[in-house]
Amino acid sequence: MALSEDALWYKDAIIYQVHVRTFYDSNGDGIGDFRGLAQRLDYLQELGINTLWLMPFFPSPLRDDGYDIADYRAVHSSYGNLDDFRNFLRVAHERGIRVIMEMVLNHSSDQHPWFQESRSSRENPRRDWYVWSDTDTRYRGARIIFLDTELSNWAWDPVSKQYYWHRFFSHQPDLNYDNPAVREEMWNIMRFWLEMGVDGFRLDAVPYLVERENTNCENLPETHTVIRDFRARLDHEFPGRMFLAEANQWPADLRPYLDAAEFHMAFHFPLMPRMFMGLKLEDRKPITEILQQTPAIPEACQWCLFLRNHDELTLEMVTDMERDYMYDEFARDKSMRLNLGIRRRLAPLLDNDRRRMELMNGMLMSLPGTPIIYYGDEIGMGDNVNLGDRNGVRTPMQWDGGWNGGFSSADPEALYSPLMLNPVYGFQAVNVASQKRFDHSLLSWMKRIIKVRRSTAVFGRGSIEFLYPANHRILAYLRGSASETILVVNNLSSAAQAVALDLKAYKGNILVELFGRNIFPRIGDMPYLLTLGPYQFYWFRLRKI
Amino acid sequence: MAEESILTDDFLRELMNVGEVDILVGVRTYNDEKTIGQVVQALRSGLLQFFPRQRAVIINADGGSRDATQDLVRAASISDLHHVANLQTLRTLHCISTQYPGGQASGNAFYSILAAADLLHPSMIAVISGHSTQIEPEWMARLLQPICRDNFDLVSPVYRRHKFDGLLVRNLVYPMGHALYSQFVKEPRPSEFALSGALATHFLGLDIWSQEAGRTGAGMLLPIAAITGGFKPAQIFLGSRERVQHSESGLVPAMRQTVGTLFWSMEKNFPVWSGAASLPPIPTIGGEPQITLEPLRINRKRLFEMFRTGVAELEPVLQSILRPSTLSELQRLAAIPEEQFRFEDNLWARAVYEFAVAYHKAVINRDHIIQALAPLYRGKTFTFLIENRDSSAEKVESNVERLCLTFERLKPYLLELWDGVK
Repeated sequence: MALSEDALWYKDAIIYQVHVRTFYDSNGDGIGDFRGLAQRLDYLQELGINTLWLMPFFPSPLRDDGYDIADYRAVHSSYGNLDDFRNFLRVAHERGIRVIMEMVLNHSSDQHPWFQESRSSRENPRRDWYVWSDTDTRYRGARIIFLDTELSNWAWDPVSKQYYWHRFFSHQPDLNYDNPAVREEMWNIMRFWLEMGVDGFRLDAVPYLVERENTNCENLPETHTVIRDFRARLDHEFPGRMFLAEANQWPADLRPYLDAAEFHMAFHFPLMPRMFMGLKLEDRKPITEILQQTPAIPEACQWCLFLRNHDELTLEMVTDMERDYMYDEFARDKSMRLNLGIRRRLAPLLDNDRRRMELMNGMLMSLPGTPIIYYGDEIGMGDNVNLGDRNGVRTPMQWDGGWNGGFSSADPEALYSPLMLNPVYGFQAVNVASQKRFDHSLLSWMKRIIKVRRSTAVFGRGSIEFLYPANHRILAYLRGSASETILVVNNLSSAAQAVALDLKAYKGNILVELFGRNIFPRIGDMPYLLTLGPYQFYWFRLRKI
Repeated sequence: MAEESILTDDFLRELMNVGEVDILVGVRTYNDEKTIGQVVQALRSGLLQFFPRQRAVIINADGGSRDATQDLVRAASISDLHHVANLQTLRTLHCISTQYPGGQASGNAFYSILAAADLLHPSMIAVISGHSTQIEPEWMARLLQPICRDNFDLVSPVYRRHKFDGLLVRNLVYPMGHALYSQFVKEPRPSEFALSGALATHFLGLDIWSQEAGRTGAGMLLPIAAITGGFKPAQIFLGSRERVQHSESGLVPAMRQTVGTLFWSMEKNFPVWSGAASLPPIPTIGGEPQITLEPLRINRKRLFEMFRTGVAELEPVLQSILRPSTLSELQRLAAIPEEQFRFEDNLWARAVYEFAVAYHKAVINRDHIIQALAPLYRGKTFTFLIENRDSSAEKVESNVERLCLTFERLKPYLLELWDGVK
């Protein structure tokens, strides 16, 4: 299957996020690898996704799950080598699956040779590759992101006897983007991977690239300048490739990044917690309000939507009242909380309720943007809050009910992480093989919804118009393009609901339900009455016949 | 009153949109455009401040306003279409309004609110008057928290009142209600109160709504239903209450709604009040009501004259109601000079009980019975005003308490008359 030639391919993408380490172990060492991932591409193709987002796979001391990179031009030996990666990339492309990889621009590991050189002496040529200071009082306006572990954004280096700047863990010193040599080298690294064939980068921690006194050191104009420089080079040398911004910001602050001269895509962080909130409150208000506040973006840009990912369910972009509510409703057990968020997977967050998982995925697939599925969520995998940091949502993929859940032939003790074993979410209860056997399993349902989503471009590219029925438990919107209109009606309530929709602008149209292709009554002069079961949703194509 | 007649299709549609709620706040209005805005703002603030996570709705039961009352209520909604600047909310707050049929009777408004509650299943219901100008957001917490936190079923208010305010309640309704049921609320016909969903369901199911007592005295019947139904009542201090000047012509309607309703309820509740076990006093939360003592001009002379005239003119009626000994005592009392006049508690309680029994036996038209009680009440009021002219707050309270004891002591007399032959 050939890759689409469309330069806006990312608008039609269904992204599957996976860490190589977690997916499939081909050599029995207990750690997933590129050969294993390549072997499982059939599964992903069958699932229907068309883009893979790989989390960091570079050599790393793995103190932050690979986001602490020690060599930007190699593959961590546990996952294979560059040839393995090239082979995986080729096979993925042959299956029509594009590959986006992680690029951590903001910082390296303190084990990276650059930092080792930089700290070796104040006169070292790489000294200026990082941000050094005699005091720890500069840039006091910058908040601390990892509140649970870090007390300051400065760390003392006993070797060169100065402080170095770090927005994340202290073992992740920030690179100095005021230094042209750093910018040049980071582009050269991206070029290295682009020449190999990767289709895009998820650029990590974008807002923090540059620091300035008397600011919060986020979203600074100088940071935008760095991004624009990279984007210009990308468009010039590798047209059709893509940048995705990881910037956990309010939509208005994020908007400048989503520009023809900067990013193609950006995560819509504030929407995600509000989807959970709307579901729990049984009220569409949190969802519609944040989307009302979301500015329009250029035609060539796209939001990335997600329900869960490898990090905690971040609650930075909510009000204090909303955060308290989310904690109380979704993380009553304090061990589920991390930093300003909740470290849980989709299924446990939704009490393993199939109807709610379907509804949330239905919204994910039908709201404006490109959806991302976090590995394992398509089968309803659980989490292990007893594992530290965010490792509880990074346990091995559960392929079958056999040895190590089909993930690895190694001894269980040798696995990079314990498997899920409990009777609800353990690999014997939740796995790909068992769900493949039934047409009505969550996995089969996910395949169906992805197929329906991909049957029309309107979800990825169309406009959105919210309907505001008086029943606030109903979230209804029209997705439209020049050639078609889709009506989406979601019941956020745990009880059946009746709703009257004002569709008189579409009088005369027949509604065709997209999953079963059944015909519903023609729209007339009166409000269109629908009833929906608990957490039920409909996607209707409007047909004028 | 049939349920279909009160829930119009439009109102029903609005209720469908609201769906199940945790809190329902009912607001009774009639041409209240001058005050309703302030009331609804206070209610909304109270709900958002004290119950931000609960599903709530404000339902206006309107008696046929011709002003902007209903529009002002609806405008207080909060939704993704109705944003309110500087107001953070988690949820949609519906504010809806309906006009109930059958005029302005408070019972009809209450019935509309309870019917809506029956469909929306709130666990807490507050009922507020559209002209409660002293309302504060904290009232939501004070009225509703005893229900959600302490599992009370009825939260009835008490106020700081003038010692000569609420005399009908002090001299008749409270002492008699207390004697009948061994506990009673201090404000038996409040403008604002709260009840649990369970009590609302029970009360809505009572066979009262098609009758006059239900239409005009539902507020009065609610505490009685709570006590007789084994629900947990509480009283909550809501601050000061402005004194309302009642006209003389308003006395009889007020007596119909209170005394008439109390007498009417005795029919159905005879098994309860005839054998009422001793119940603990109703707890008062948030401070005891205080009595204010500012000087007040009341035309006592007129009260006395109306008593004398009434006893004389209504003699044939009173003969059919009262025992001869009681009537002759009243006539003797009516003959003595104003400065020596004193309507003793004992005589008053006996007379009231005889009126209750006459009402029970319907010896004459029941409305005439209530009307005939009015001059006697004026006489008792005259004595109350004289007795308490210079009394301290404590003394006023102790006098009311003494009257309660008298009513209680004479309860066997009431029981004896109830099934006896006059």
